[in-house]
Amino acid sequence: MADRLKGRNAVVTGAGSGIGKAVALALAAEGANIVVCDLGGGVDGKGASTSLADATVDECKKLGVQAVPQYGSVADFKAAEAMIQACVSNFGRIDILVNVAGIDRARMIWNLSEEDWDVVIAVHLKGTFNTIRHAAPLMREQKYGRIINTISEAFVGTVGHVNYGAAKGGITSLTYAVAWELGRYGVTCNAICPRAATRMTMGPDVLAGYKKRVESGLWTKEKYDEVTHVATADYLAAIPAYLATDKAGHINGCIFGAAGAFFSYWAPSKETAIYNRDWDTYGKWTIDEVEKCVPNLLKGYVNPAPPEEKEKK
Amino acid sequence: MGDKLKGRNAVVTGAGRGIGKAVAVALAEEGANVVACDLGVAVDGSGTDQSPASETVAECKKHGVKAIAQFGNVASFSDAEAAVKACVDNFGRIDILCNIAGIDKPKMIWNMSEGEWDQVIAVHLKGTFNFMRQAAPLMREQKYGRIINCTSEAWLGGVTHLNYGAAKGGIVTLTWGAAQELGPSGITVNAICPRAKTRMTDDPKVREMVVKRVEKGLMDPSVLKRMDREMVDPSGFAKVVAFLASDDAALINGQVFLTTALTVARYSKPETVAQVENPSEGPWTLEAIKSAFSADKLLKGYVNPAPPKPEEKK
Repeated sequence: MADRLKGRNAVVTGAGSGIGKAVALALAAEGANIVVCDLGGGVDGKGASTSLADATVDECKKLGVQAVPQYGSVADFKAAEAMIQACVSNFGRIDILVNVAGIDRARMIWNLSEEDWDVVIAVHLKGTFNTIRHAAPLMREQKYGRIINTISEAFVGTVGHVNYGAAKGGITSLTYAVAWELGRYGVTCNAICPRAATRMTMGPDVLAGYKKRVESGLWTKEKYDEVTHVATADYLAAIPAYLATDKAGHINGCIFGAAGAFFSYWAPSKETAIYNRDWDTYGKWTIDEVEKCVPNLLKGYVNPAPPEEKEKK
Repeated sequence: MGDKLKGRNAVVTGAGRGIGKAVAVALAEEGANVVACDLGVAVDGSGTDQSPASETVAECKKHGVKAIAQFGNVASFSDAEAAVKACVDNFGRIDILCNIAGIDKPKMIWNMSEGEWDQVIAVHLKGTFNFMRQAAPLMREQKYGRIINCTSEAWLGGVTHLNYGAAKGGIVTLTWGAAQELGPSGITVNAICPRAKTRMTDDPKVREMVVKRVEKGLMDPSVLKRMDREMVDPSGFAKVVAFLASDDAALINGQVFLTTALTVARYSKPETVAQVENPSEGPWTLEAIKSAFSADKLLKGYVNPAPPKPEEKK
């Protein structure tokens, strides 16, 4: 189709379905050879199958590039090493790493089991570290690399799966730090917050939940239509593909919102209100002093979840 | 000293030394009973020692409150359960939870071992989750709670310990998420980014480097002055945490504060500051994306944190 990534070699995790698959195909369409990594499990991380990765490999090959599958778990340090190795041994080197693999186990914090915490953190956060850790020395050596991680709008706080949010927050900080550490070596590291219809965001269970909200009067039909009118992942796949091109060499340490309908830049958190004091004169902070500076400090602040009833003491 | 927290019961992790100790003592000074949790490890997480937690207990008691020690590992789900249970069993319930425990194993990404990653994530991120998970149902039941987590400016980037930074970023998002989930039940969840002199930060080499840069005119002398004023005992800002733990802070929820002896600042949440719409009905094309950048629309105000040093190889 096009050749903006001709001769480049990419590892894409979670490439068996959804966003990962769409990204793998978008890279292949621009001429990149692809290592298609997918354990073939369900949205909750259970099960395994080689068929998802194999199908993406076939589709990539139809676009005229080389493609090989990897069926390991990204949460496994050695399996991640094998994914990067597969790229080097089959294609010669690794230029592009796109971390998309992810699972979800949604529970409120008071019901979240230790296992549901551990597994979600392992797949997203450790999985992203694992592949970067194995790609970094090679990219640093060749003084070229493009790393694109997948986070989520849940990185600014989310109800119903703090494990998922915390993993995504961790990946955000990991992205910033990798950008700082590897930028000088010609390696960029960015992340996207995708918004797309996938089995995680628009599967039968999710849609059933949305329909319940309409039936119970919590949502209007219009709200339902608005929420479910989301383009599939192939609509946004060109955005990570662009970040993988030579042209994007100056873009490093950025978070982008990516959807069929829009493309946005997320500014990191920054100090917005500061109260400075002369501690030579006043000594340690006292509670009274803290209390006094609070109104200025909280200017513009909106409580994300105020108490439902008057707080008990 | 004060009585802002009289009758309240607190669990403080990492309470044996540094920021955790300063926080535990600040809470005790305001009348709170304290469970002082500390495994007594070195900065890198090695070893164990019961004396730091025991010393903090003795110091808290001097302020006329009850205090007990817990010597477990915050990274252990069952140890966290035991520590929260100790608060309930000894004092009646848990009102305040301060997650301060942390370690550091700095390495650049290309040298970091799997173990260095795992251990730092386990202590900071899982440790913070473990205690929140145990305290949340109790606080929800009583419709009252104050949770204060410890993150770091390393959450926004930096070099040499991305394990630490990633853990702190996870804690920030966990703070934001838990604030939304627990807020309706009268519980607040906030986080601090502290600056203070502790075992972890007291590195003479850092100061020497700043002194050299100031001498060469590469850095404004005010930077050094500020550093000297902020690199003091964490008791300098510990009352900020005590305030967040008090009834007066009932409406402060889901916020991240920089806290030093000199300054308190509030962080914004990340936000979309520039947006470009897809000009076509179909999927995004690389041309449309490129033009979004070429017009300097998306990256307005963006500064590359680490531009390529030599000529980038192709």
